[in-house]
This record gives sequence, structure tokens and C-alpha cells, in this order.
Amino acid sequence: MNATARLLQSHRPGDGVLRVLSASGQLGYGIPEDAFRRGMARAPHVIGCDMGSVDPGPYYLGAGVMAAPEPMVERDLELVLCAAREAGVPLLIGSAGTAGAAAHLDATLAIVRRIVARRGLQLRLATIRSDIPADAVVAALQAGRLDPIGAIEQPDAAQIEACSPIVGQCGTETFARALALDPDVLIAGRACDTAIFATLPAMLGYPLGLSLHMAKIVECTSLCCRPGGRDAMLAELTLEHFTLESMNPDAHATPASVAAHALYEQADPLQVEEPGGSLMLHDAWYQALDSHRTRVGGARFVPRDKPSLKVEGALWQGERVVLLAGVADPTLLRVLPQVIAAVEQRVRALVPGSWQLFPHIYGQGAVHPLAPAQRATHEAGLVLEFIAAQTALARTAAAVFKQNLLHHAYPGRIATGGNLAFAFTPSEIDAHSAYRFALYHVMRDAPLERLFQVDAIDLDGRTRH
Amino acid sequence: MTAATPHARRLADMAQVIRSKNAGPTQLTIDVFLNDAAMYALAAHSPALSGAAVASRYGLAEQQVQRHLLANIHAIKFVLPRRIVAGSPGDGDVYGAQQHGPMLDIVV
Repeated sequence: MNATARLLQSHRPGDGVLRVLSASGQLGYGIPEDAFRRGMARAPHVIGCDMGSVDPGPYYLGAGVMAAPEPMVERDLELVLCAAREAGVPLLIGSAGTAGAAAHLDATLAIVRRIVARRGLQLRLATIRSDIPADAVVAALQAGRLDPIGAIEQPDAAQIEACSPIVGQCGTETFARALALDPDVLIAGRACDTAIFATLPAMLGYPLGLSLHMAKIVECTSLCCRPGGRDAMLAELTLEHFTLESMNPDAHATPASVAAHALYEQADPLQVEEPGGSLMLHDAWYQALDSHRTRVGGARFVPRDKPSLKVEGALWQGERVVLLAGVADPTLLRVLPQVIAAVEQRVRALVPGSWQLFPHIYGQGAVHPLAPAQRATHEAGLVLEFIAAQTALARTAAAVFKQNLLHHAYPGRIATGGNLAFAFTPSEIDAHSAYRFALYHVMRDAPLERLFQVDAIDLDGRTRH
Repeated sequence: MTAATPHARRLADMAQVIRSKNAGPTQLTIDVFLNDAAMYALAAHSPALSGAAVASRYGLAEQQVQRHLLANIHAIKFVLPRRIVAGSPGDGDVYGAQQHGPMLDIVV
């Protein structure tokens, strides 16, 4: 018997609290060790870590690489794996390797195997593969079961097929299938953050609404505290409520800070969509237990008839080269957008082929549109983004643009030495592939069991694999 | 101070938190946490913080902006469509974390 079955057989809701430890909301950026050790000293029944998000943009999904640096991922994984094995409790990790597609999951598993071998660990490892075949999404599109979330255009079948890969956010249903394989450690591809922390409580018999609400708050560790942070967070769950406590003694979970966290990154503060239904927070209550801990209850879960699945897909747009430079001439700064347009026209005649230019003029509205009076006339930063199907073409466009902009004779110029200040050369830099999200949609009536593959394998670091 | 005789104040001086962040790559959420119940009452009733007024600050139509009033935590939340899906070429703020600027000098 392994950690999951031991917990399922030994814990009876109502007999005592269930302690859920959230070790990381972003595994791979350095789990604060002091708070994590304090959490382990509280003898948690289950440990969870979130490892991914759609936040960092489409590149990581499209290119199949992790956002977090691999040495730090390995450091964090080693910390939680060893602690969980020593305590003999289940460890659950969701959205492996940032974007949770096969490449990310496999890269994460390779690190796990290295740690298992190095530390001589023995464990049963379950995995969930979250890659969704393009034909399933195309079929949903054609059947009218693919709904955009927010402001994103509907892709056509060819664009869906060109997304490589597509992932779906699995939920508690899929985690329960993987946990039925009795793992010590579960590593999931793309997953709802809530599934990591809510599934085992729900399998034990705790109310799903309460479990999901707890999960929704603890998945960001101590971000729900004041001051917010990245320290491990403990939730003590009963059948009626849960108590939140940061493992950093100086980060306090107050009713206001916890309730405020429900708004974070969330379009609807009172309703959270899960594959199997909606988490309703209309009757949620938050009560201070003392100055450090807050007790929460009142959430409800309303199941839907047929499961819905959030799908994400990134579409390659080309290879990117960026040109970095500063401008400090007041006359030029007053006409900079027009000068860039004029230079672009000249460079297009010199560099044929299909390339795109996206100018970012920092100081003049690159982050948010600025009124003319607010646009800087003393100094501005230029990030000119060139995208083309081949890196060589993007490099050529960037280099030719640089030289033409450097010596462009704009009206009223008195600074004839050159129009750009370079912090270093070469000032044009290869900047990875460019992607865009073509899919951020809900697939209604999704066959979850068919779409998500669950597996388990026994790893023994005391023998050579 | 009462709601009947409000002094004109900048929102930035009435709120402990004014933040923006993506709610997924297609939407932006702007959360304003007022200092106390009185400030919240002023802000919630001010035309300067109506959905229409905030929409116009962001160059959007009124019906593109949803407003949520959360009296229990003295918060007002606005949900806006992003101009560009996060991280697409041409985007200037992948996380949407620096889009709160137009809120700061709203006069309530």
C-alpha cells in the first residue's frame, strides 16, 4: 500500500482535521525552505504544489519549454519529494513544467527520475497527460461546442490543427482517476489549480464546494495573507469549514486579505468554473480565529450535467529579433512614431519578403496608450520587434532598420551624429519564436475520461534503471 | 466625512490597493480596495467610477466593462477585454499588471 491508499484508509472526516500543505504556487522559483519545514513539522496529510500557469504567455506552451530555470526546478522538486517520502504522505503537483503539455511533463519527469536515483527514493508515480488531440477540438468547433473565453477570435479548423500542442485543464475527476492508482506522487500535465488540493479531500468525503474553495485559496500559498508572499500555506479542513494559516509567522491570513484574494486574477469574484460544475462563493464567510489565522466556510458546488474543459493552444507566428536603443533628442522624440513609419517604408523597399514590425516606444505609451502631453520628450527607449518566418530575414530587417534609423534625416534635425544610443552592440538580438494563443476556449460536453491518459509506474532509486 | 458632503479626492488617496492583472489571456481585471466603508460608499456611488466612466478611460464601450461591487471587503472590481490577447505580437504587458495607471487620478 502506498501513500494515497494509506491516507484514504486511515483518515475519517469528522474524527479530526485534514491538514493540507501548499508548498508552492510556482514550483521552480525557489520554495522558501523555512516556512516549508515549519509546514512539514505540522504533519500534513497531503502536500500540493502548483507548477504552471497561462500567465507567462503562449511561448512556453508553443515551444514546449519550461519558464522556470531547470536547476531551480530540480532544487524545489528535491525539497518536496524528499520531505513527502520521509513523511510518507501523498505529493501532488499540477501543470508540470509551466504549460503542462507532453514536453513539459516529460522534462519534469526526467528531473524526478534524476532525484529518485540520486536520493535513493522508492515511490509509485502517477501521471496525467493533458494533451488534447486537435481533432477532438475541431469536432467541438464543428458541433458548436467550442466557446471563446473573453476577447479571443474563433479559430478555424486549420488553425486548431496548427496549434502544437493543445492542452486541457483537467480537474478533480481526472485527479481522482490517477489517485485510484495509489501513487505516492502524482504529477499532472495542465490542470486546474484547484484539483491539486481539492481531490483527496473530496475522495475522503469532505464537501466538494468547501474543498474547492480551500484549494482555490491555498494554491497561491501565502499570497492571500498580509503581507502576501510565497511561503507555504496550511489549511486545516473539517466538514464545516477550513482554517488558513501561513507557515511564515509574519504573514497573516485575515478575513479581509483572504476575501480579497478571491478577486485575484478572477473575472467573476463569486463563481469559479470547474470542469464538473461551478464553485459558488455567494454565501462564503470569513472569520478571524486570531491575528494570524482565518476560518472560512459557506462555499457551494453546483455540478453541471456534462463536463466542460478549458483548452489552450498556441500558434506559431514566426521568429523574433528585437532591436534595442535609446533616444534622447527632444526634436526627434516629438516625431518618433512618424520617423519609425518613414524608416519602415524605406526598409521595406530594401528588404523584400514577409516580415512584421511591432514598435514599442517606452516613455511614449508602450505599456499603455498615453495622451500626447504625457509622452516623454527627454528620453525614450525603443524596443523594435521584427517577426518573420525565418530568423535570417528578421535579422536582416532589424539590422537594416537600425542603420537607416540611426542616420535618418527628420525635419529640424540638428543632432547629425546619429539618432540612437546603444547600450551595447550588437543591439539586435534573437528573441526566440513568437506565438499567440489561438485557443483559450471552453469545450462543452468534453469526454474527459477519453481525453486524459492516466498511468502509474514504480520507481526505485536503490536499483539502476 | 459622509456621502452627502463628499470632498473631491483622487482615487489613489482613498484606496490601499489599486491593481490590474490578467484574468486569463483575454481579460483584464482591475481591483480597487478602498480604505474603509466610508471611502467605499463614496467610490461605489461616484459617477467617476461607473462602468461607463471607467470604460471611457480605457477607450472601451460601456457594455465591454463589467463592474462588481463587493461591499463586505470595500472593493470594486472592473473586468475589461484585453486589447490584444496576452503575449501576442504587439502586446506591451503580457501579465496585464501595469494597466492600472488610468485609475489612479480618477477624482471621486
